[in-house]
Amino acid sequence: MPTVTFLPGFRKTEVKSGSTLLQAAQQAGIHMNVVCGGLGKCGKCTVYVKSGRYDFDCEKFGKFFSPEELDAGACLACQTSVLEDVRVLIPEESIVQEQKILIDVMGISTELNPAVWKYALTLSPPSLDDPSPDLTRLLWGIEKAGGPKEGDIYAPLEVIRRIPRVLRESGWKVTATVVLVPGGYRLIDIEKGDTSPACYGAAVDLGTTTVVVFIRNLIDGSIMGVASNYNRQISCGEDILSRVTFARKGGLKKLQSLAAESINAAITEAANKAGVDREHIYEVVVAGNTIMTHILMGIDPAYMIEEPYVPVVRRYLTAAAGRAGLEVGEDSGLFIFPAVSDFIGGDIIADILASGMAESEEISLLIDIGTNFEVVLGNRDWMFACAGAAGPALEGGEVLFGMRANAGAIEQISLDLETLTPAYRTIRHTKPKGLCGSGLIDLLAELLRACIIDRTGRINTAIDHERIRAGRQVPEFVVAWKEETGIGKDIVITENDVKALIMSKASILAACRTLMNQAGITRDEIAHIYFSGAFGNYISKENAIVIGLIPEVPVERITPIGNGAIEGANLVLLNRRKKKFLDEIARKIAYIELNAEPSFMDEYTGSCFLPHTDLSLFPTVEEMLGKCRMRRGVP
Amino acid sequence: MTLSTLSDWTGEVGTVTIGALKADGGTRSTTVTIGGERDLSFIGSPPTGHRPLIAFELCDDPSLWPAPVTKFLGDRASDPAEWARWAGQEYAPDLIRLFLTSTRRRGFSDFASVTTTVENVLQATGLPLIIEGSNDPELDSEVFRRIGEAGEGERLLIGTAEAARYRSIAASAMAYGHLVIAQSPIDINLAKQLNILLREIGLPHDRIVIDPYTGALGYGFEYSYSVMERIRYAALKGDEDLAMPMISSAIDSLTVKEVREADPSGIEKISVAWELYAMLPATIAGASIVCVRHPSTILPLRAGIDAFWPAPSGGGGA
Amino acid sequence: MALKALDIYKLLPKKNCKECGEPTCLTFAMKLASGKVKPEDCPYLDEKAREILGASTRPPVQRVKVGVGERSFAIGEEIVQFRHEKTFFHEPGIMTAVSDRMDADTIQAIVADVRDHLLVRIGLDLRLNGIAIRSESGAPAAFAAAVEAVEAVADLPEVLLAEDPAVQEAGLAVCGNYRPLIHAATRDQYREMCALAVKYGCPLAIRAPTLDALADLSGLCTAAGAGHLVLDLTSPSLHETLNSAVAVRQHAITRTTPALGYPVFIDTRPSGLPDAALICGVLKFGSILVTDAISDESRKAFLVLRQNIYTDPQKPIQITPGIYRVGSPGPDAPVLLTVNFSLTYFTLQGYLEASGVDSFMLIVDTEGLSVLTSVAAGKLSETLVRDALKEFGVPDLVDHRKLIIPGYAAPLSGKIEDETGWKVLVGPRDAADIAEFLEKEWP
Ligand code: SF4
Ligand code: FES
Repeated sequence: MPTVTFLPGFRKTEVKSGSTLLQAAQQAGIHMNVVCGGLGKCGKCTVYVKSGRYDFDCEKFGKFFSPEELDAGACLACQTSVLEDVRVLIPEESIVQEQKILIDVMGISTELNPAVWKYALTLSPPSLDDPSPDLTRLLWGIEKAGGPKEGDIYAPLEVIRRIPRVLRESGWKVTATVVLVPGGYRLIDIEKGDTSPACYGAAVDLGTTTVVVFIRNLIDGSIMGVASNYNRQISCGEDILSRVTFARKGGLKKLQSLAAESINAAITEAANKAGVDREHIYEVVVAGNTIMTHILMGIDPAYMIEEPYVPVVRRYLTAAAGRAGLEVGEDSGLFIFPAVSDFIGGDIIADILASGMAESEEISLLIDIGTNFEVVLGNRDWMFACAGAAGPALEGGEVLFGMRANAGAIEQISLDLETLTPAYRTIRHTKPKGLCGSGLIDLLAELLRACIIDRTGRINTAIDHERIRAGRQVPEFVVAWKEETGIGKDIVITENDVKALIMSKASILAACRTLMNQAGITRDEIAHIYFSGAFGNYISKENAIVIGLIPEVPVERITPIGNGAIEGANLVLLNRRKKKFLDEIARKIAYIELNAEPSFMDEYTGSCFLPHTDLSLFPTVEEMLGKCRMRRGVP
Repeated sequence: MTLSTLSDWTGEVGTVTIGALKADGGTRSTTVTIGGERDLSFIGSPPTGHRPLIAFELCDDPSLWPAPVTKFLGDRASDPAEWARWAGQEYAPDLIRLFLTSTRRRGFSDFASVTTTVENVLQATGLPLIIEGSNDPELDSEVFRRIGEAGEGERLLIGTAEAARYRSIAASAMAYGHLVIAQSPIDINLAKQLNILLREIGLPHDRIVIDPYTGALGYGFEYSYSVMERIRYAALKGDEDLAMPMISSAIDSLTVKEVREADPSGIEKISVAWELYAMLPATIAGASIVCVRHPSTILPLRAGIDAFWPAPSGGGGA
Repeated sequence: MALKALDIYKLLPKKNCKECGEPTCLTFAMKLASGKVKPEDCPYLDEKAREILGASTRPPVQRVKVGVGERSFAIGEEIVQFRHEKTFFHEPGIMTAVSDRMDADTIQAIVADVRDHLLVRIGLDLRLNGIAIRSESGAPAAFAAAVEAVEAVADLPEVLLAEDPAVQEAGLAVCGNYRPLIHAATRDQYREMCALAVKYGCPLAIRAPTLDALADLSGLCTAAGAGHLVLDLTSPSLHETLNSAVAVRQHAITRTTPALGYPVFIDTRPSGLPDAALICGVLKFGSILVTDAISDESRKAFLVLRQNIYTDPQKPIQITPGIYRVGSPGPDAPVLLTVNFSLTYFTLQGYLEASGVDSFMLIVDTEGLSVLTSVAAGKLSETLVRDALKEFGVPDLVDHRKLIIPGYAAPLSGKIEDETGWKVLVGPRDAADIAEFLEKEWP
């Protein structure tokens, strides 16, 4: 049987001769874009066969490709059969994005104060009258051009070695690059001619699942290119704990290089798109969770997941980017965001920075929701933070018809209060396959409004309606009949699903309330709620309040900040003055261990109710629900 | 200056009347009213609200009843009506609480017996009644319908509604004019949640009595004690969803190790001690009805309550 | 009421210098608010802050120590009215009374009993605390003789119940060095009693007809140099005792009347209802409870009640993880998993015993959290179960591979099956239903 090898990643699979590449890919566990369902109509399943014999009708399907592409082996995976061993490159676009990787950022403006300067210099050649050494000449030149004083610039040996040659070969017209690092100014490069406009930096969000890179022009601040990528460490474990376990078993080196590779790949992609030479990227700023940044720096994270959960480093780290294996300018700087604890990492500090809450007198609540969640409450004077596990329900996990935010996921839904008929919208407008987080939140709120569930999430089976039925084990509500779905089955939400969702939302609300209690803050005093992360970007703010995922505040106080980590990294890249501020933020935060906080459990049981046991915390929701009950004829 | 207790309470526990006299459509010879407190238990001269009451518990299937009691009772235990009549006469509890334990046997289907038992006990005693039905959602609706029907007009207190199964009990109470015990597992939030659920299906607050679940002395009693204190505190602070009177019954008191393993000669004394040392504290924590199974506990428990509430006895009060 | 962390934080220097041992001033403020650190730990507090914080973090009920040596005990230092707000700290001492009218043998039998009586529960020793010696004869010599009789048998903490200063002094002459509680100073003789308290360095109980008078007397006694006071709230009416005890605690913790910021003494005799009086004392803030000898059963129930009430509500009592047997289980007996929260353990154990099914209980370490809580907090996990099965050698005990888990742990059932390879049966949520469950589900 022929072997199909998929690049990049070298996933291999054996298939029967004559099978399509799409089948092979599916067998190998690669989720390809099959928008038209494999009919050769959409052209989304493009791959490039690099070697080996295959069968593809160029006449019929060639219209999707340019001659160059065809030369490079382009073909449609669904229409190509394998005849012998082949190596196939699958371009990023042809793979289903497991989830939309969030690269939208609010684009907060900041002063442009990068830590990199390039000086285009024309130096006078040495003479008997002016015999000063090359280095001094160069540094004086920098000083004269408005740069730091000659004596303040440190020049590393590697750069010094290049100076005499570059100066003379360029006819004394050179560009010098100086960066500001914690030790002071540092000369990191000398190039022939005037390259001063080519001055770039990279902001990186190193997440557990994804890596996002922005390349910024450090002269005018403009965005040159953006790219995102999966974190290649996924091959060593899906979640963070399995990565740490992998590291423990001697895999730290591998994880480190995979992290670097993932960043490199994204930087390369973004640089290529923008036509930027990677050598001209002089600073890389990385925000990531504590474990990710530890791994990137090659620091063993093993002890962080054991009590008492201490990270090795908390403050920000700097190093030469090359030391971490990043393929940018040889002597470029690498800046890693500081962390507060094992759970509150640089990504959260970046969120805080991006939200602006640390500069404001007003009190803000910042919530970053994923399988794990982090919550920060405070203002410029004080901050409390906590983290916990919300369980996968809000991301569609552990819910019978839950799914990630892929095509076919119901992302919005409402119920007609009279007929109980749902109206929904799916991602990419295909037939529904399941419900993703935002859809589940809507549904929960709607079921409550329609009095189909009570506040503890029990389905009222006394309601006589075809969509409400006993279910196999527990009662369920039919969201979509099998005829209308893309999976040939009724899509339902069961009472157990509802309870799992309530438990998830309860952990988050309880965390918010625990911080509020610690600080003695009521909901009225919260001027802003910031949602960071993909989840917060798509959910309905109103419904998040109706179900009691977050405290009730006027919706205009709620702002999704998108990917706060990348935004924060961008801010620091553009404005070096923020670096010091980061440490200040990190130091200001008091971390609250929820499991050690006796009131947390109380808050949790109080929150396992829609929206909360203390109804007075949700006055407008209560008013609305009261009306709904009247309307539904329930006293 | 006169130093006394400090209180800035704004709330009040609601009152609930159990039982109905002839004039009101029932057949009880007395009715009782509980609740009405505006301060902590026994605080004030006289204390606010109504004096805590004692309910005597019995059942219709003594094989599921603690041995110290069935031994003490002898033959009487086989007939709940006689059991109720005798206890009412000899020990003068304020209420009788009948557990239809027969419904908790596997394969129970003799629904007609529910009706008969309830009717018989109603005839045998003039005291207000508390009736505990099945605890299986499959049986609930029929069992509670029958209880409701058999006691129509008697203003029974029926139990036990829980968050997982409250609809059939509430339905019966609403249809036949009874009151409901709302039980939650030793948690103030869960207690409140259940009260809200009941309110939202139409059962008014003055027909609910909270059962916060009471662990036996030495077996979690302290949790129950504190939850009762917290519920009372919340009510006095104005939380209307917790402002119902409470019933407390440490139903495991007579099956704990200390009682099971006691010397036969001391079994009555230890039974009484274990019930008394849980139920008298329960009244201090805020319970309006405390329940016992050993008849001999009634006397010392009554003496204790009266010592904390020296005003003239009689269940009336403020 | 105690200050909130943020209020305290506002008073701190905000240097984040870590000299207090905390990473930030805010963490320091949080710990200070919960009483885990002392204001003095921050060297940079200004005068004003020191004053405010000092005042609000010192216990409002004064600490008093009674007795010396192994059995001596401290009372006071309480900060709340309801145990759920924090905890009650010092269990009341129960002092069994003897009288100077009793003969020495009777006294010594009682004392020996108090000395030796021991109830072990949940790994803790529950004991009676000391002896109260009543002066009933009014004669100094008889009183001294009674005290001597007590002293001859045991070094237990003592209360000397003698209002006549001469009688009191006769007792103190025997045991004054062992820090007995002197009972009691009244408006009439407080000068003499205070002098005795000062002379022997003993705590002093004081007594007055009303709370106002008591507060005044407290002021007089402190002025006379007796700083370690105990307030006697005994009344023939338990209603009155209860009311004054609640009032005293409220005045103390709100610092409304600092003169009442002392532990409370209750003698159960005048009420004629020792059980009810003991219950009143242990629930409502008694710190020294004097009682005549009570029945074995009452004593047992009282000790357990006291243990219950003085358990830190935020620290559940834990059971050592392991495999526990109910009856004499064989290799085909069911294995029931549960957590090491003592209440859960005892409840399940009770119902299992009642069910008559011989079985194994596998108790895993969830740090004392209940099933519901530990599932929510992620403390009960499939790996924990896997490790426990292995650690406690369960596969060698039984020849089946079936594990019954609590109903509330149902969400974990799949994961436990995957991780352990055992078949998981989801049991009932309520332990009371375990018998029925086993009957139906266990072959
Ligand atoms: S010693 Fe004082 S100033 Fe320094 S961190 Fe601690 S609380 Fe803050
Ligand atoms: S899937 Fe549409 S062309 Fe291949």
